[in-house]
Amino acid sequence: MTTPAPISVEGVSKRYETPSGPVPAVEGVSLTVRPREFVSLLGPSGCGKSTVLGMIGGLVRPDSGRILIDGEPVMGPNPKKVALVFQDAGLFPWRTALDNVGFGLELLGVPTARRREIALGLLEPMGLKGFEAKYPRELSGGMRQRVAIARALALDTPILLMDEPFGALDEQTRLLMGEWLVGVRRRTERTIVFVTHSLHEAIALSDRIAVMTARPGRIKDVIEVPLPYPRALDETAAVDLHAKLWAQVREESLRAMEGQS
Amino acid sequence: MRVWCWRAAVLLAALLLWEGAARMLNPILYVGPSRLPSALGRVLATRDLPPLSGHVWLTLGEITAAYALAVAGGLWVGFLLGLRKTLGRIYEPLLAALYAVPSVVWYPSLMLFLGLGPASKIAFGVLLGFFPVTLSVLAGIRQVPDTLVVVAVSMGAGRWTLFRKVMLPAMASTMVGGLRSGLALSVVGVLVGELLGARAGLGYVINYAYGLMMTAEYAALVVLVAAAVLLLDGVGSVIEGRVKRWAG
Repeated sequence: MTTPAPISVEGVSKRYETPSGPVPAVEGVSLTVRPREFVSLLGPSGCGKSTVLGMIGGLVRPDSGRILIDGEPVMGPNPKKVALVFQDAGLFPWRTALDNVGFGLELLGVPTARRREIALGLLEPMGLKGFEAKYPRELSGGMRQRVAIARALALDTPILLMDEPFGALDEQTRLLMGEWLVGVRRRTERTIVFVTHSLHEAIALSDRIAVMTARPGRIKDVIEVPLPYPRALDETAAVDLHAKLWAQVREESLRAMEGQS
Repeated sequence: MRVWCWRAAVLLAALLLWEGAARMLNPILYVGPSRLPSALGRVLATRDLPPLSGHVWLTLGEITAAYALAVAGGLWVGFLLGLRKTLGRIYEPLLAALYAVPSVVWYPSLMLFLGLGPASKIAFGVLLGFFPVTLSVLAGIRQVPDTLVVVAVSMGAGRWTLFRKVMLPAMASTMVGGLRSGLALSVVGVLVGELLGARAGLGYVINYAYGLMMTAEYAALVVLVAAAVLLLDGVGSVIEGRVKRWAG
């Protein structure tokens, strides 16, 4: 028997109840993520990419279909296997950077000294040495997001789900954080699903890109990115890929805009 | 430091102005600050007034009881309505409407139901102190950022952990403000209750001195009460500042 895929999404659908009736957010999405793969979910805003991620993370229950993590159905959040990072860093303002990173470990009952050790070991390579005792309000946006990622990495899960983690950052910080994430990935060997609406981000980081349709979200196409790291986005292959992706995303974004008006 | 100098100067100027005004006017009705120490001496010596310490203890006891009940009731109702969404939707508008009614109108009924003794004062203190506590809990619950809750849930936090490690700290600065106003209003409730009708307590003594036109003693008592309340609120403000700094 072969080992099951770390993430297997099998025909999931989800609709949300709103005052003006049910709105289908996601319809019949299937996706298999291979071990240590970096897959991006790319699509126009409101296409249900975050919902798919939430379902993989056990935060949202699908109406139909199922999701397997290592072959076992998802019943709820599973901090032993899956860690999440959100667009909003969501740091606890009353905790120092160090204690924020240790939060998940605290919930798992890891003793204080060990938590400290793990958190320090994560903060240092993230360029946050000397900021361990700072509170979130004393950190820049990029630093806060790095602390949030460190908090997720601290759980040492094989799977990391990231929901537009750099979406709230400015362009420069965003590019640097992307480069940094490539490094983190190489060191930690995780399976990552990354939600984004940035074509550049998807091309720079992913092994495969799943393009989603406008609402209700389906998988329109899955595109391999066979480029070596570090990636230069001005190379011919990357430019061609960008054009191909843009053609698909443009069509869906137009449909999304029409759907809104 | 300079701020403190200015504050002292303003206080001094106010006292001088008060003294100057009082000296120009009828000394029976208008009492200047220079006459307060001797009046306070007379109050404490209890020559013409009932012994003060018993009344002070009674009032402090009433305030403590009223505040304890207001906090207990306020926290309970606040969390119940805040965390049980359906209950909150039913009762929160009622609570807001009740809060808009000037609470003094209830006092006569409290006296009718509970008599002239401490019970009606405590009840009035509870009534006044209860609302700010409840409303601050409700506001606090609404202010907990969703993202913090989602982060904690994604890391496997159960209901109790979520409450203790996320909600309470996230609500702390709003709640501590409500607890502080609740204390101030519980004090007001008990004192007003005693002033409006009682047989004992600090408010009763103030009313007694006023009724006998012992204006100097009356003024001394009022200043004493004001100083005590200011001290209490000062302590409250220090605690609130600490909590706010901690909760960010």
